[in-house]
Amino acid sequence: MRGGFVTRALRRLLGVIALCFTGAIPAENFPVVIVNSAASPETFLSQSALSAIFGMRLRKWEDGSLIKVFVLPDEHPLHVAFSKYILRVFPYQLRNAWDRLVFSGTGEEPVKVVSEQQMRARVSATPGAIGYLSDSMIDETVKVVTFK
Amino acid sequence: MRLSRLLLSNSQYLKKTIPFYYSGKSGFFASTGWESRRNAPILRIRGLVGAQYPASPTVALRQVSVALVFAVLWGHWPKTAAAVELFDDFQVHGFLSQGYSLTSDNNVFGASSAAGSFDFTEAGLNASWMPISDLRLAVQALFRRAGAGHEHDVELDFGLLDYTILSTLGYRLGVRLGRFKNPLGLYNDTRDVVFTRPTILLPQSIYPDRTRALSLSADGGLVYGEYRGDWGHLSLEFGAGIPRGDNLDTELAILGVDYPGDTYSELSYIGRLGYELDGGKYRIAISSARVDTRYDPGPPSSQNLGPGKDIFTPVIFSAQYNSEKWSLTAEYAIRPIKESGFDDRLNLDLISESYYLQALYRFDANWQAVARYDVLYNNREDRHGKRYHATTGRPAYTQFAKDWTVGLRYTIDSSSLIAAEYHYVNGTAWLPPQDNPDPADLEQRWHLFCLLAGFRF
Repeated sequence: MRGGFVTRALRRLLGVIALCFTGAIPAENFPVVIVNSAASPETFLSQSALSAIFGMRLRKWEDGSLIKVFVLPDEHPLHVAFSKYILRVFPYQLRNAWDRLVFSGTGEEPVKVVSEQQMRARVSATPGAIGYLSDSMIDETVKVVTFK
Repeated sequence: MRLSRLLLSNSQYLKKTIPFYYSGKSGFFASTGWESRRNAPILRIRGLVGAQYPASPTVALRQVSVALVFAVLWGHWPKTAAAVELFDDFQVHGFLSQGYSLTSDNNVFGASSAAGSFDFTEAGLNASWMPISDLRLAVQALFRRAGAGHEHDVELDFGLLDYTILSTLGYRLGVRLGRFKNPLGLYNDTRDVVFTRPTILLPQSIYPDRTRALSLSADGGLVYGEYRGDWGHLSLEFGAGIPRGDNLDTELAILGVDYPGDTYSELSYIGRLGYELDGGKYRIAISSARVDTRYDPGPPSSQNLGPGKDIFTPVIFSAQYNSEKWSLTAEYAIRPIKESGFDDRLNLDLISESYYLQALYRFDANWQAVARYDVLYNNREDRHGKRYHATTGRPAYTQFAKDWTVGLRYTIDSSSLIAAEYHYVNGTAWLPPQDNPDPADLEQRWHLFCLLAGFRF
């Protein structure tokens, strides 16, 4: 149950179209949002919810538990693609927003993982976790999030 | 582990290279009477400025050792240092930067006008812990060397308890109690972290270093609210607290001269309303404060200056546009200042005015360039100081500053950068008084060149 086939196909198509202009990454490496598999069945998140979560401004799930956000390094191609095509911001904007939080005492930044393997391992092992992976890296240890 | 190594080597090096010398900050208030406080820093500055610089082998040695220690730390640290995660929901971050300033005339961060100065070091260490999802504790300590009067400041930058009262997909409402950072403009909240500011020296018209202490943080409480909707992200912060006005910088900014007695802060207010559209592509904000600083003359003396009051009510308008390559930023401020009670010579009621326009261009993920025009008028009714000169006899150019800046930055990786910039400045209005004790030595038109290396984790 990884979300509807049509949604996935559409997302892939959109990815391909987007990448025609940038020529950066093949479609199977297109970023997909994932959560810990123990997450509630409600794995539909809106664009604005994702922006708030990865912007570290929405800190808890609907059940009140803490959201644990994992990201790859700023310069990682998947992070760049995730920022641009899923969150629709540039990586430097995310970095600036996190730095403002961290160094003014008003918030925290996401936990950084160094590879997609580590991303999958940490998200699958951490309750309340959210992150992203390439399409080709998805397996049954994590749950895919689809957009409303 | 890495963290303790940095701290250890840093403090050891400090003990060796910097003579124990307090000035300006609380050390003076705690240890000595006003007499020594009044004289010591000035004498010290004269000693540095007057002689052919470097005046003594120790000063030269200190500069070289600062550079060396920095280079060693640089080499030892892994280039992909990640934030320290000690346990779940606990984060530790820090930064360290070392600057070099060279001026044609006038001094910025030490005796920069002779052989240049390395007296600009900024370091900070912070921790944030969320024991439960609605409660967070955060603290940050700063170490700073920034020219005369700031030989080695250590300060608590913020220390607060942040409680989220309400948090939904669309709204957030919370309160911060303790020492909170003052929400002013686009850069004040993180002004000491080079990674968060566009240039080595922030636009001094809006973020003057000479009143830095007052604008940093305040002890009290702050309420914040956020609303996220399809039409953008709206945020409001409102705080009430005691700013940090009990220092020599504040006294010099208000009185111009170090009188006997001390300045201190009374309950002040601050607020910022911000709006972001398209994930921060467009950002606008309006921020304001009412900063209440008092002067207590202390024991009676020959200079009989009465107790006085300084009310500062700046209003800052900020706007920023962010695209993949460009960030265009402008801020404009009116800064009414009202001083009363002292005596007729010092009382004033005027409106200072300042603004800057800034364009930043990203060539790629590593290189960026910035250009800025920054203007400060101490009195908008007397922009070029003509009336000031006529009534006081002091140079008109101390009343304004127009600063053209160009800069280049190379981001080595997400944790380190090097930056260079050049300023051509007409006017001396924002020069720090402690680095420039004698107004007769000031030059109206001057050049400033800065280099800086920064590291963060």
